[in-house]
Amino acid sequence: MADRKAELERKKAKLQALREEKERRRIEKAQKDAEEVAIRAVSSEKDQRKELDQMLSSLGVAPVSDVLSSLSSLSSLTPEQSANGTPDSSLQLHTAPPAASNKRRASQLSVVSVQSTNIPPREMVTYAKQTQTVSSGHERDGSSSSSSPLKGYFEDWWRPRKDEYNLNPGLEWEDEFTVLTYDDTSQAEDEESSLPHLDGFQSKLPPGILPHGLPQVKEVQPALTSLENAPPKQEPAKQVRELSEEEKQMTILTEEFQRFLDRAGRLMERAVSESVDIYTDYTGVADGDEAGDEKSGLRLSLNRCFYDDRWSRNRCLTSLDWSPQYPELLVASYHNNEDSPNDPDGVCLIWNTKFKKTTPEYIFHCQSPVLAATFARFHPNLVLGGTYSGQIVLWDNRVQKRTPIQRTPLSTSAHTHPVYCLSVVGTQNAHNLISVSTDGRLCSWSLDMLSQPQETLELQHKQGKPIAVTCLAFPHGDVNNFIVGSEEGSVYTACRHGSKAGVTETYEGHQGPVTGISAHSVQGAIDFSHLFLTSSFDWTVKLWSVKENRPLYSFEDNGDYVYDVAWSPVHPALFATVDGTGRLDLWDLNQDTEVPTASALVEGAPALNRVSWTPSGLHVTVGDDMGKIWVYDVGEQLSQPRIDDWSKFVYTLQELKNNQADEEIDKLNLSSSGPSSLGNLASLSPNPLR
Amino acid sequence: MKRIQSHKGVVGTIVVNSEGIPIKTTMDNTTTVQYAGLISQLSDKARSVVRDLDPTNDLTFLRIRSRKHEIMVAPDKEFILIVIQNPTE
Repeated sequence: MADRKAELERKKAKLQALREEKERRRIEKAQKDAEEVAIRAVSSEKDQRKELDQMLSSLGVAPVSDVLSSLSSLSSLTPEQSANGTPDSSLQLHTAPPAASNKRRASQLSVVSVQSTNIPPREMVTYAKQTQTVSSGHERDGSSSSSSPLKGYFEDWWRPRKDEYNLNPGLEWEDEFTVLTYDDTSQAEDEESSLPHLDGFQSKLPPGILPHGLPQVKEVQPALTSLENAPPKQEPAKQVRELSEEEKQMTILTEEFQRFLDRAGRLMERAVSESVDIYTDYTGVADGDEAGDEKSGLRLSLNRCFYDDRWSRNRCLTSLDWSPQYPELLVASYHNNEDSPNDPDGVCLIWNTKFKKTTPEYIFHCQSPVLAATFARFHPNLVLGGTYSGQIVLWDNRVQKRTPIQRTPLSTSAHTHPVYCLSVVGTQNAHNLISVSTDGRLCSWSLDMLSQPQETLELQHKQGKPIAVTCLAFPHGDVNNFIVGSEEGSVYTACRHGSKAGVTETYEGHQGPVTGISAHSVQGAIDFSHLFLTSSFDWTVKLWSVKENRPLYSFEDNGDYVYDVAWSPVHPALFATVDGTGRLDLWDLNQDTEVPTASALVEGAPALNRVSWTPSGLHVTVGDDMGKIWVYDVGEQLSQPRIDDWSKFVYTLQELKNNQADEEIDKLNLSSSGPSSLGNLASLSPNPLR
Repeated sequence: MKRIQSHKGVVGTIVVNSEGIPIKTTMDNTTTVQYAGLISQLSDKARSVVRDLDPTNDLTFLRIRSRKHEIMVAPDKEFILIVIQNPTE
C-alpha cells in the first residue's frame, strides 16, 4: 500500500514537472504567437484567444492543470498516448485537480518532445467536430472577419477555417468525445500559428471539397498523416500570399501565357467592341427603326474604315482579297512606309468585318513591300503574298509569328521582278498558285513546295518582247485561260497549257498602263464570262469581250487615273471603279452607261488604289494610298439583281454595239460626237493603226 | 492587353493565374486583389456548373452584367482574363 502511495506521489511529481514545463512552453508559444499576430495585425486572433481563456477560466479550471489532472487519473497512460489526444474529457471535468506536490524534479524534461507531436491530432479533432453543428460558428465569424485587414481576399479563406474552429467549443461532447478544454486553447493557438498554412491549403481546395463533406474520414485519420500534410500546406500558402515581381515576369514570359493572352485577348476584344444593347425595349419609343429606313434608302453610304496607326499609316494599299472560308475576313497588303524606315517594308493585315473591333485580326509583315496578297483558297490558315523583290511569301495564322513561315527563293528559276499578281486556281485536290512578275514570267506553284515552281511560262509579245504584267484575271471557272494587263496599255489573253501556251490574243485600246482588270463572274441564266473590264492611267475604263479585240465600250467619266475596277459578285451589270481623286463610282449598265449610277467621294480625297466587293455584294471596300480601307454599304435596290437584269444586260450590250457601229461611221465622217470628246479621241486613235 | 485597355468603356483589365493570384493588371492593388479573388472563385464555380451539367462541356466565357459595369471573364486552363467595362458607351 505504501509502495503504491509512493508511486502515486512520484507520478504526481512527475506530472507536476510536466505541467510546469508545458506551462512554460505555452507562455513561450503565446509570446511567439502574439508577435506573429502583431506582424499580421490581425487583432481578432488575440481576441479569440482571450475569449477562449475566459471560457476556460469560466469552467473553473486552469487549462494546464486540467490536462494534468486528466493525465494523472490515467496513470497507465504513457505521455505519448496522452499526446495523441485520447485523454478522457469526462474524467477531466469531474475529477478535481489535486495539487500535486512536486518534491521530485526528475530528469523527465525529455518528455518535452511529446508536446510537439501533440499538435496534429488535435487538428484532426477540429475537422471532425465541425460537421455536427453549424449555428455556433457564425457569431464569431462576423466579428473576426470584420476586423480582418485583408477583407474580401482573406476573408474567404478565413471563413471555412473559422467555422471549423468555432464549432469546437459549440459542441458539447464531453461524453462523446474526449475533448479537453485545454485542447481547445492549444488548438486555437496551433491554428493561429499555423494560420497561413491552413489558408493556403484550403484556398487550394475546390469549393466542393471544403471540409463539409469529409468529416468522418478526417476523424479516423491517424495523427501521422496530418503531420505529413502539414509541410506541403506551407509552400502553396506562401505562393498564394505574394508573387514577387520576378515570378510575375517569369509567368508572363512563358509561352503558355503568351498563347493564352493571344487567344483570350482576341476573344475579349471582340466581346468588348460588341455594343449590341441587349436591353432594347421595343415597348418604348422606337426611334431606331426610322434611322435604319433612312440609311437603306441611300445608295452608297460609308460603313466603317479600317486603319491601324502603327501598321498601315502612310502605306499605300496594294491589294484586297476575301477569305473564301470566312467571308468576313479581308486580307489587305500594304506598300512600305517611307516615314518609318525601321519598320518592315511589307505589311499584310487581316481585317474582320463581322466584329466592330478596330484593330486587325492578324498582322503579318516581311522585308519587301507586298504588292499582292491572297488567301490560299483551300487552306483557310494560309495567306500568300507577292513581293517587290519577286519572292512569294507564305504566312500562317496558326503559328505565333508575324514573319513568313515560307518564302520562295530569289533565283532565275523563279521571279526576279516584282510580283503584282497572284491567284490560286483549281480545285480542292488540284490547285496551283499562279504568280506573274513584271518581266512577263508566269510561275505556277504547288503550295506544298515553294522551293521551285512547278512550271514557268514566259509571256511575250509577238516580237519576243516580254510583257510587263500589272494585273491578272481568270475568267470565272477557267483555270487555263487568263487575261493580263500590261504597262504599255495592251491587254492580252493567254493560256497556261496546250500547244499554244502563252499569249493568244492582244487587245489594244488603252493609252496608258493598265491598272486593274476584272473578269465577269456572276453566274446566271445567261453566261457573260467572256466580258471583262480594264482600268487605266488614261482616265478610262473599258469593257471588252474576249471575242473581240476592240473595246465594247469606254467609260470616260473620270478626271484622273482610274486605278481599279471590279465587277459585282452578284449583279450582272454592276461594277465599281476608283480613281485618283478619291471618287468611288458604281455603274449599273442597265440604268446608265454615260454616268455612274452612284458615286461617293472618300473623305480627304485620297488616291484610291484598290476596290473590292464583299462576297455578298452588299458592301464595297476601297483602299487608298494612305493606308486606309473604307467600307461602303451599297443600297439593296442597287446591289441586288432582279430576275430580268440578265436579259436587260444582253439588251444593253447590244445597244452598246450599235452605238459603236454608229461611232465608227462618225469616225469615218471625222466628226467626233458625245460629250467627252477627248476621251473618245483617245479611245479611237489606236484604231487607224491597226 | 493595351489594345483592350485602350478601348473606350473599359475600366480595367486583369490577368489572374489558376490560383487567383493577379499577374498583370491595369487597376490599383486593392481592387485587383478583390476582383482576382472573387472572380476566380466565381469562374471556378461556373466551370464546375457547366461540367456537372455535361462532363464533355467546358466554360469558355463568362459575362456578368450589372447596373454599373459589365465584367467579362475569359477563363483558360492556366489563366483568367478579366475585363471590366462600363456598358454606357
